[in-house]
Amino acid sequence: MQYFIQVVVDGVATGAIYGALALAIVLVNRATGLINFAQGAMAVMATFVAFALTRAGVPLIAAALAAFAFAFVLGALLERVVVRRFEGGDPDIAVVATIGLLVLLTGISAAFFGYEPHPFPSFFPLGTVNLFGVFLSFRSLGTIVILVVAMVALQVLFRSTKLGLAMRAVADNPRSSALSGLPVSRLLMIGWGLAAGLGALAGILVAPQLFISPGMLDFALVYALAAAILGGLDSPVGAVVAAAFIGVVENLAGAYIDVIGDDLKIAVPFAVMIVILIVRPQGLFGRKVVVRV
Amino acid sequence: MRNFHKTTRVTGAVAVLGISALLVTGCTRADTSGTGTGASAGAAEASPGITDDSLSLGISSPLSGPTAGPGSCSVAGLYTYLEAKNAAGGFEFGDGKTRTVKLTYLDDVYDPAKAVSNFRQLEGDGIFAYVGALGTPTNAAVMPVANEEKVPQVLLVTGATTFSKDQKTNPWTFGLLPTYFDEGAAFGKLLADAGKAVTVATLAQNDDYGKDYLAGFQSAIEGSDVKVVGSATYEPSDTTLDSQVTELAATKADTLLSAVSVTPLQVGVLTRAQDIGWLPRIFLPSNTSTPATVIEPGQGTAYPALYSTSLTKVPVSPAFADDEEVKAYNAAFEKYGSKITTTYTPHCAWSYAEGAILEQAFKGMTDPTRDSFMTALHSITGFHAPLLLDGITVDTTATDKPAIQGIQLVQYNGKGYAPASKY
Amino acid sequence: MEKLLARRSVRLVALAVFAVVLVVAPLVSSPFINYQLALIAVFAVALLGVNIVMGYTGQVSLGQSAFLGLGAYIAAYGVKNGWPLLLVLVLCAVLPAAVGMLVALAAARLRGLALAMITIALPIIGIPLARRFSDFTGGSGGATVSFMKAPDWSGLANDQWRYYVVLVIAVVAFLLARNLVRGRVGRAFAIVKENEAVALAMGVSPYRYKVLAFTIASLLGGVAGFSYLVVVQFTSPETLSFFTSINLVAAMVIGGSASIAGTILGAIYFVVVPVLAGAVNSARTALISGAILLAVLFLLPRGLASLPRRVRQLSARKSHGRTGATAPHNSPDGASSAAPPEIPEIPAANEERQAR
Repeated sequence: MQYFIQVVVDGVATGAIYGALALAIVLVNRATGLINFAQGAMAVMATFVAFALTRAGVPLIAAALAAFAFAFVLGALLERVVVRRFEGGDPDIAVVATIGLLVLLTGISAAFFGYEPHPFPSFFPLGTVNLFGVFLSFRSLGTIVILVVAMVALQVLFRSTKLGLAMRAVADNPRSSALSGLPVSRLLMIGWGLAAGLGALAGILVAPQLFISPGMLDFALVYALAAAILGGLDSPVGAVVAAAFIGVVENLAGAYIDVIGDDLKIAVPFAVMIVILIVRPQGLFGRKVVVRV
Repeated sequence: MRNFHKTTRVTGAVAVLGISALLVTGCTRADTSGTGTGASAGAAEASPGITDDSLSLGISSPLSGPTAGPGSCSVAGLYTYLEAKNAAGGFEFGDGKTRTVKLTYLDDVYDPAKAVSNFRQLEGDGIFAYVGALGTPTNAAVMPVANEEKVPQVLLVTGATTFSKDQKTNPWTFGLLPTYFDEGAAFGKLLADAGKAVTVATLAQNDDYGKDYLAGFQSAIEGSDVKVVGSATYEPSDTTLDSQVTELAATKADTLLSAVSVTPLQVGVLTRAQDIGWLPRIFLPSNTSTPATVIEPGQGTAYPALYSTSLTKVPVSPAFADDEEVKAYNAAFEKYGSKITTTYTPHCAWSYAEGAILEQAFKGMTDPTRDSFMTALHSITGFHAPLLLDGITVDTTATDKPAIQGIQLVQYNGKGYAPASKY
Repeated sequence: MEKLLARRSVRLVALAVFAVVLVVAPLVSSPFINYQLALIAVFAVALLGVNIVMGYTGQVSLGQSAFLGLGAYIAAYGVKNGWPLLLVLVLCAVLPAAVGMLVALAAARLRGLALAMITIALPIIGIPLARRFSDFTGGSGGATVSFMKAPDWSGLANDQWRYYVVLVIAVVAFLLARNLVRGRVGRAFAIVKENEAVALAMGVSPYRYKVLAFTIASLLGGVAGFSYLVVVQFTSPETLSFFTSINLVAAMVIGGSASIAGTILGAIYFVVVPVLAGAVNSARTALISGAILLAVLFLLPRGLASLPRRVRQLSARKSHGRTGATAPHNSPDGASSAAPPEIPEIPAANEERQAR
């Protein structure tokens, strides 16, 4: 039983890594209706800013704040200069533009810092809490707490603030939003800026564990996408729950089903996800989209 | 319907045109001789890529993507050695001439198709030999092509057994580094020689890298009191190995063989095991045992003992700061290799030593041919290449072994590694 | 009408020149160039599959590399066991098509990103499977094969012979696909892409045509896998890499969505850009490739295939000022009705831009 709980807790901790990035993906989707493949690469770039600052002796908290600011500006700028050109057209082209950004930003990070992973300082000390024989590291605990706070903040932003409502309106229908006097251009930039900031948060949280390198979030991005879509794409809570679900299912399958083993365990949550999506195409927490004819 | 007929007619016309073009050009390549496949005409006729004052080498390694760190180092160390020597007047060859050696490097992103493409490109550019490439699947894809075209594909920076174990079938290919099998066996032998009951948990990468390691280890503990009580694998793409460590910790094994090749994951293993109260003796493979990047961040001093294997002095470690070879390496790397990468991995030191082995082969080359190069390269014994630790020598005469042999089993002493003799 | 005829004959000549180049090029080129040309033929077939699903039918597919890898593994297994090559080729088409159809039967009721996610799962699941079943696949070390050597009577070198083999496969695939997309099925694809409700109203089942599109794409992916093995003579789990799928999608859009010529241009882009980036600076390939991708998208958002139209558009704008720019879109005659999906998007995009 103790082992079972440990496996589940480890799964949640792993899921937290995917969840942080999934939140950023959900935010961009809510603000612009797009999937941003460059979300991870943008986050990595911002994390590198924090990395360079800490290496120069700046305290971590200040470096993290600088990274946020950088990420916000980077996100807003990329939306205005690159993505704007492809919005409203064929969504495939816009998505491919974000693929181009992914490759380009990864290349820029690598040009400055190389491809080899570097250690990154953490807000939380090493060590664990031991609850009745179940271990949870301070870092995982910290990541989970911050993630939940971010999730709640996002939920509040979308549900209860003017800014959030306006952003949703713009994503749903940019033309009517413009007609009703919303500053569409600025709102789109803010949406991307906030998402990039959230990505920076994700990057700084996971970098102590994954080590900072240009490709740090490449694999996490796939899981994060899965979590975002499984969660319903427009629901922050859904994304986080789905991320934890993926982590837990993967771990349980690896630990308890001998045929699956450590190598095939990654296939299990994806297979389960396929089944869930076929039954509930809108995802676990998504609202059903009514197709207009 | 009209459209459709038009289409068939167009197709027909195109086909006829194509076939007649084929007939006109006579079905053969205009310059078959220029591609450098055969140098069999006579010993004196020079192979491609070599003139009286120059020789060109080629390498394709991952220079972008997840394996780019080691990949860049496999180029940078070699490039450093060659350029430093060129600047000092060039390489002396066995035929009495002095040549400068040029290295062309390409990025294959660890993609086998791209590696073959790069090999073809380098061959077309007229390289004399393909040296020091990093990557198991990429080199596996190049191997048949290189042997078909009789281009040396040598001193590969990989520990996979595939490239060295059968040089009779693939006479143009062999590796540089001791195999993962040998590394695993060296550690297994240490445990077996202890002569007491030891329980071992193994954690290995789910590919040939991990399998070779385990196979070597198993072969060495055969018939001893050493018992494997738990084993787990991981994918290089995993973000954390916490669950594997949890699973292995449940076995309470005395010893952990942690054949993890990804630096952050290896650090994760070290922090995780102590976090959950499991303190085994740990064996780390040579490419993830650097004190500054693995042991210090992983707080490895918490464990009763950390073992690894080592081939070279560590240029970035203060312990070797006064060593003459290390000084020479650091000065030269600053000048040349830093153009390619600035981060150190052991591959930089390995490929630097590889440059010296090449120089040794050039000295023995009596003819400007690939055949002569291979003969000379296979006749090196007891050579000390710079940066290699004492007791580790180069011996290229066996047809089933890589160039560098002898593995030094080392134990971490709180600052660096010292030779380990017993468990 | 006269203009139309003139254009057709220009196209005919261009096509003939293209064919002659295709046939003669390998005879006068180095093995390296031939390898690139052969790779272009390989990935053109895989891209054709992506284009049929995404470009023509409007469904996102991020799993083409899984079918490419499956085809390559089947080919490797068949060759190693000495099966007749024609049988191997047929299996490389049929088995991936069957797998693709099974997946599509379950998934094609979904649309948009849910469907995309299921296709992402294919390479993610496929790679560990390929490692696990090492008796069949050769495990992580991959499978090396040596086959398709040039027969003596041909007088060709191996690289030339292999190029011709994959070229023939590609030409057949393209001719069949061209007829398909210009016919009844192609029109049905276009309607499904436009609006599934309208399709239903017209008696076209979106579900059936989506399954069909996926099956064809998987079939082409498998065939491309066979060609891949012919050219590379090696396959490993890396062939299935998810990032290959992503790059294929990028190349499809770069070449030109819902365009046969665009598919070929996309394949050229896919193979040539990494080589170009390597030629500029091997240590900075990612940066250069990303910059090139974005640059092409900025200049030609509708792909390389739109280059002639774009040039005409720009020159028209220069000579006629603003009003002339919209003129070329309003000619719904022969040439453009052959590719119906291209018409409705430009005005929509323009409206959107005005709205902001």
